[in-house]
Amino acid sequence: MKPQDENKEGIGGMINPRRYGIERVAYLLMRLSGLGLLAYFIGHIYETSSILKGQVGWNEFLDLTQTNEGHALLAIVIAMCVFHTVNGIRVMLGHGGVGVGKPSRPDYPYDPASQNMKHKIGIYSAIVLAAIAMMYGLAVMYGE
Amino acid sequence: MVNKMRESTIMKIHYGTALGAVALVAVHILMRLTQSFAESLEYTNVIANYQFLPYAGMLEIILILLSIHGFNGLRVILLELKQGPRYEKAVSYGCVAAMMGLIAYGSRTIIMVNMGML
Repeated sequence: MKPQDENKEGIGGMINPRRYGIERVAYLLMRLSGLGLLAYFIGHIYETSSILKGQVGWNEFLDLTQTNEGHALLAIVIAMCVFHTVNGIRVMLGHGGVGVGKPSRPDYPYDPASQNMKHKIGIYSAIVLAAIAMMYGLAVMYGE
Repeated sequence: MVNKMRESTIMKIHYGTALGAVALVAVHILMRLTQSFAESLEYTNVIANYQFLPYAGMLEIILILLSIHGFNGLRVILLELKQGPRYEKAVSYGCVAAMMGLIAYGSRTIIMVNMGML
């Protein structure tokens, strides 16, 4: 096996969600949803520019998005958006010192005060809210 | 200039653009729900949205906020993966260039439709 410099695992280590609990999963989902939303945002800017081609150009592009696949993609975007927003607010509050506990002497078993139940609830809430928003988005898109 | 800015300042901008974008994107989405989703995307409705100056201004602000936030987020992810003076400089300037390109492209659509240059 090739030795790794300074124990760097690269992308494999970055995306491995199996270690460090739900916080690591949130870290991974935050990055995946961020990249997904950036890709969607670029696509959305390109998509809306088709309005400059007039009504025919706009309708042609719109027809591509008004399909089951288009709706499924948009539902995933809604879920990513809600998760990224709610988890982002949790991260911002944590960086501001909200809900991370008081500093104390590190004693065995070295449980980090910042990885407490408040933040775990925040992460699970972000996932649940994303799922609810995705369902609501699908209901709106299918006109129910 | 991008490399001289403190990371703490950049993160404040990152969080500020995020909060601003959340509020304005909420308004943008609510505008889709004032009528049926399909109806709100009809050509005449979309043109009317763009030609309503306050709404066009809001779209421009969303474009700027999300471009800054998105490409800074990409920069952070890329810098987490690899470090080094040349790499970091290339990533930072590359992200700023991409951000400016996207803002320019999106602004072109907003300005041209708002001014009726179709």
